[in-house]
Amino acid sequence: MTQISRREFLSATAATAVLAGCSRSVPMPPSHVSIVRAPAYDQTIYDTVRRILVEHRVDVRGRSVVLKPNLVEFEADSSINTHPLLVHAAFEAFTALGASSVRIAEGPGHRRNTYDLADAAGYFKIVPRFEDLFVDLNLDDVTRIHPERQFSRLRKLYLPNTVLGADLLVSLPKMKTHHWTGATLSMKNLFGVVPSGVYGWPKNPLHWAGIHECIADLHAAFPRQFAIVDGIVGMEGDGPIQGVPKRVGILVAGNDPVAVDATCCRIMQIEPLKIDYLRLARSVSSHLLETNIHQLGEKIETVTTPFDLAPGVAHFRMERG
Amino acid sequence: MSISTLISSQNPDGGFPYRRGKSWTEPTVYATLALLAAGELPAARKGLDWIRAAQRPDGGFPPQIGIDESTWVTALVALFSPEEIGQPEHDRAIQWLLTVSGEESSSIYRVRQFLLGVPRNADQKDPGWPWMPGAASWVGPTSLAILALDRENVRKPDQRIRERVQAGRRFLLARMCGEGGWNHGSSRATGYESRPYPETTGMALAALRGVSSPKLDLALAAGKRFLQDCRSADARNWLTLGLLAHGQLPEGFCSNQPLDYRTLPETSLNLLVAGAAKGNNLFWS
Repeated sequence: MTQISRREFLSATAATAVLAGCSRSVPMPPSHVSIVRAPAYDQTIYDTVRRILVEHRVDVRGRSVVLKPNLVEFEADSSINTHPLLVHAAFEAFTALGASSVRIAEGPGHRRNTYDLADAAGYFKIVPRFEDLFVDLNLDDVTRIHPERQFSRLRKLYLPNTVLGADLLVSLPKMKTHHWTGATLSMKNLFGVVPSGVYGWPKNPLHWAGIHECIADLHAAFPRQFAIVDGIVGMEGDGPIQGVPKRVGILVAGNDPVAVDATCCRIMQIEPLKIDYLRLARSVSSHLLETNIHQLGEKIETVTTPFDLAPGVAHFRMERG
Repeated sequence: MSISTLISSQNPDGGFPYRRGKSWTEPTVYATLALLAAGELPAARKGLDWIRAAQRPDGGFPPQIGIDESTWVTALVALFSPEEIGQPEHDRAIQWLLTVSGEESSSIYRVRQFLLGVPRNADQKDPGWPWMPGAASWVGPTSLAILALDRENVRKPDQRIRERVQAGRRFLLARMCGEGGWNHGSSRATGYESRPYPETTGMALAALRGVSSPKLDLALAAGKRFLQDCRSADARNWLTLGLLAHGQLPEGFCSNQPLDYRTLPETSLNLLVAGAAKGNNLFWS
């Protein structure tokens, strides 16, 4: 069970007071998050992903879909990149649901040679016609946007046209710890849509403008999202690059990235309320508190797998009791 | 890719895309340099016209026309001689480079850190160059700025340029990874040693041409190691150039490993590096 801080309590009380003052009740439907067992990267993952999308009644008929995995380093056998089999399973599932187009797109933060990185990570081998389906978001044409809600000090936000034009952006991150933000999941994965061709490798202007605030900006910039977190083998310790593999054997999915990430944190035994970007991004449709998240599939308690945290973020550990 | 294929990739506006689509500054600079080196003057002139039109009022260049920000690509444009790009355009690009440095070397940042009691890291002592003003210095943009300014200093010796180049080289040496070579510019992250990358190792080695330092031997060894197991055309281009800068390019390097050249900068740079290996070097005088 999540412990609520004083600030959480006060804000919840204030919200209740506001709602109580209204002449009619304001419905706040819960977010649905699936936790599905997926013990290995094998052929069963195709059916698992298809069942997740059916369970969430994802309707992409005639719509364009962009799949955004997390590609970081040239190490196919490590737990650093989203596994290509999961990405291909998502590609097949969205295609089968009648999407008009399904593209795979990513803009790595450190390495410039994205295609070579994807090649080394096994994407060319696993995903047929990968080069035709893939867009390097670092080098895609861009448009300057003004997010509906801006949290950071970033003066200008240019984003790639491929993701701006998509009807649905599907975040496919790896379940990893992060030595600055505590955890990197579906929301932090959106750093990869920020074009390095404009912002550089790494996307350092985002760090100066506030990492948490920029993650919240990106969340606001893409209102139509779905998230499938690769928690089959995650990364603990000094993530997101130098950590060690952590086997959990699950996929976590839903159309509210805040709720999906909060659920992952609880599974990893990281306190989601301590993660600034989750707190910033929550809204009437983006839920952080467990009471507003309807879990499908496995219960958190049955899959809880504590992740080791880097010393700098050890205080993010969920308190027991 | 041959020069004729490169010409066929030119957009009607005279610029070049990364792969396809709109023109960007980086591929346009590399392609135009390659066209000039090959004597393909009509196509090169169109490229130069596109680049000139992209220059911003502050003298810098945006990554793409329409993006309201001067960035690291200014260093690439500054590789052109004044005769090629135009004297005023060239001078303004050089001036922009001289005024820009990483935010960590700004007075405001240093005073703030001092007041907060945060000791200055040894690798923040000397100013490098950021990808974009307002952010920190990194290995890639610093290496490119050094290449451009060093070339300018040979053309027109200047104390201010010389000092920035020397400081930039000290920045690079301070950011070298423990095992030799460079990554994006973070040799230690949260107390852990970080691993170097092939492409940035090549870039930094090229920028450190003529420098003698015991640390450099370690970096050259890393560069040679990377070249043996090269999995990227971009990395092979920069490693070749970097080792060439120190007269350390092994004979028959990577000859048995065909690599895919997937972007226009990779193919253009490959043509330029091949020319450099034959003595026609556009990166240093």
